[in-house]
Amino acid sequence: MTSRPGSSLLARTLAAAIACAAIAGCDSLPGKPREADRPIRPSEVTDFAALWGTNCAGCHGADGDRGSSTPLANPVYLASATDAAIRGATADGIPGTSMPAFATSRGGLLTDQQIDLLVQGMRSRWGKPVSPTPPGIDDATAGDPGRGAAVFAARCASCHGQDGAGGPKAGSVVDPDYLQLVSDRALRAATIAGRPDFGMPDWRGESGREPLDAGQVADVVAWMASKRPAPIVATAPAAVAPAHAANPAAAQPTTTRNDHVP
Amino acid sequence: MKSLFSSIGSWLDERLGLSETLAPVMGHQVPRDTASWWYVFGSATLVLFALQVVTGICLALVYAPAANEAWASLEWLNYQQPLGWFLRALHGWGSNFMVGMMTVHMIQVFLFGAWKYPRELTWLVGVFLFLCTLGMAFTGQIMRFDQDAYWGLGIGVSMLARTPLVGPYLVKLLVGGPIIGAETLSRFFALHVFVVPGLLIGLVVVHLVLVLRLGINEWPMPGRLVDRETYREKYEELVQADGVPFFPDAAKRDIVFAGVTILAVIACAAIFGPMGPNGVPDPTLIRTVPRPDFFFLSLFAAFALLPPWMETVLILTAPVVGIVALLAMPFLFGLGEKSWKARPMSVLLVVLALVILVTLTRLGITSPWSPDMDAWSADPTPVRFLEGRTPLEMRGASVLQAKQCRNCHSLGGEGGERGPALDDVATRLTRDQLIRQVIQGGGNMPAYGRNLSPAEVTALVSFLETLHPANQPPARDASRPAAGARPPA
Repeated sequence: MTSRPGSSLLARTLAAAIACAAIAGCDSLPGKPREADRPIRPSEVTDFAALWGTNCAGCHGADGDRGSSTPLANPVYLASATDAAIRGATADGIPGTSMPAFATSRGGLLTDQQIDLLVQGMRSRWGKPVSPTPPGIDDATAGDPGRGAAVFAARCASCHGQDGAGGPKAGSVVDPDYLQLVSDRALRAATIAGRPDFGMPDWRGESGREPLDAGQVADVVAWMASKRPAPIVATAPAAVAPAHAANPAAAQPTTTRNDHVP
Repeated sequence: MKSLFSSIGSWLDERLGLSETLAPVMGHQVPRDTASWWYVFGSATLVLFALQVVTGICLALVYAPAANEAWASLEWLNYQQPLGWFLRALHGWGSNFMVGMMTVHMIQVFLFGAWKYPRELTWLVGVFLFLCTLGMAFTGQIMRFDQDAYWGLGIGVSMLARTPLVGPYLVKLLVGGPIIGAETLSRFFALHVFVVPGLLIGLVVVHLVLVLRLGINEWPMPGRLVDRETYREKYEELVQADGVPFFPDAAKRDIVFAGVTILAVIACAAIFGPMGPNGVPDPTLIRTVPRPDFFFLSLFAAFALLPPWMETVLILTAPVVGIVALLAMPFLFGLGEKSWKARPMSVLLVVLALVILVTLTRLGITSPWSPDMDAWSADPTPVRFLEGRTPLEMRGASVLQAKQCRNCHSLGGEGGERGPALDDVATRLTRDQLIRQVIQGGGNMPAYGRNLSPAEVTALVSFLETLHPANQPPARDASRPAAGARPPA
């Protein structure tokens, strides 16, 4: 009542300005929860980096290579393998190897949609055209071990040794324990796509040499597979087979194990 | 304007007699020594409680205490409601500060002998205030209905269920059924906003009345012993001879300190933000690492580290023994020396309690006993352990990942800490010892013999044998050369 109207207006304007500044400032305080940190259900994660980092990085490497298992950040691998096979291996695992099943239907923690996202993500991030077109990793044509031995001697022995039991630059590929832990598809993948992350050339070999053709790949894989000891007990799990039958694409990688054992 | 307020004030005062009641309270004489920065923790705790009441009421306007809506209403506060996150942060940090401040207050009172004759009842009420505050902290953690809250409650209820005879009934009373269900959150909401705060307010009133009636504890002096016959007379003399009015001489420090405390709460809320909520409280989500709030981390660690046979005994008796000890203390040691300088055992006790608390809390944060359940698929094998390895050793590295060894054993500092790190395991174990350890387990490690094929064991051990520093050879079995045996191929 006694205060002058001018000072009251000034005081109100000042107070309003401070309040606005405070509220506007509060919105950018460091403690404000960020949208990115908002918790979501594991089944709702759709970010490729998050999915890869939680599920795949352990064996296939943080960036898709330099891990203990087949590198997927390898354009040759991606050009040579089919989506169905990659999806099937992720969903159902590869029996007999260290690749577990990730699909919820197989006891894993990834939804079908997340597995699709992973496959698409690998392609879009790491895939690029490769010339010439590599033989298909998922082309399970039977090869001839006898011819394979000759291919091996000509193209692989300089690193892996004459008999494949280890040479100056690389270890044994005929070790019975090793062969029991890899599928024929993985052998094909290594032969065709190499391990560029650890210095192993792909099917084109060292520069200046003729690339292996599909038949040579099949032969050399057949030769390595022929060194694999026969399983002590029949391992093909009959109980699992019907689950595959419903989804032939998913069944593909799981049945390639031992498929050329004589 | 001023005259209007003062006339309303005097109108009310004439009828209520406020100044007659409050003036002596505010101006009552206190010993000069108590106008000290050591005597400010109690009032700061009270001011924090007031902050909790105000922010709590504001939160209750929005919060939906129903199992299917609580989490969403917190998310709404965090992300939709303008400054809702800040309100949650104030309430959360206010609770952290209140538990901390009350602990400091309790330690100060303990060391200054303020619990001795004639202030035993003040201490008793204080102990119950402390328990109620912990009760608020625990029920508040459940209000934040997320995965931490869900599993924390599950643990609390499991402990309660161990009570002999009445365990199941107590559980039903507390959570409204045998398991956490639709009624659970309503019960804890009632506890958190009605029952426990009501108790707190009542106890605070008694606590304050006692402080006024019995006077603030004088600054303890070594050699000035408490005697039932003479203490009250001497205290009166002291206050008469060398007293100052509570307001403003003593109270100004309380006001400044309480103000600084509130500013600290605001700063923490602004910088660190609200606590959670983390993931939805859905027990089917197994990818979760629940942790209690910091005041219960020490208990969390203690329970994790207890040998199983001690669990029931300790869980049921330790809290009772602790509370009874706190309550009995003023009756057993209520006379004699007050000064901490003359009570070395009391000082040692506080130091011991704090060391245990800090150690267990630290362990609770790192929880090295918990496997890191994502390590196998999320933590890549360090590249330096893979370079130049044979195909078989590479398969071994994959077996190590896929069989989830990393969940308990770290490589390159990543992975679980339950078992020893494997970075240089080859310098500690020979090939034979590695095979035996993997197949048979032992020393707290499960046996993996039935979970690994012979080829997997060979691959795994071949890889483990490569894990030694370049300048340090792997462990050697001295008996092999002596026996003339050749190492296995």
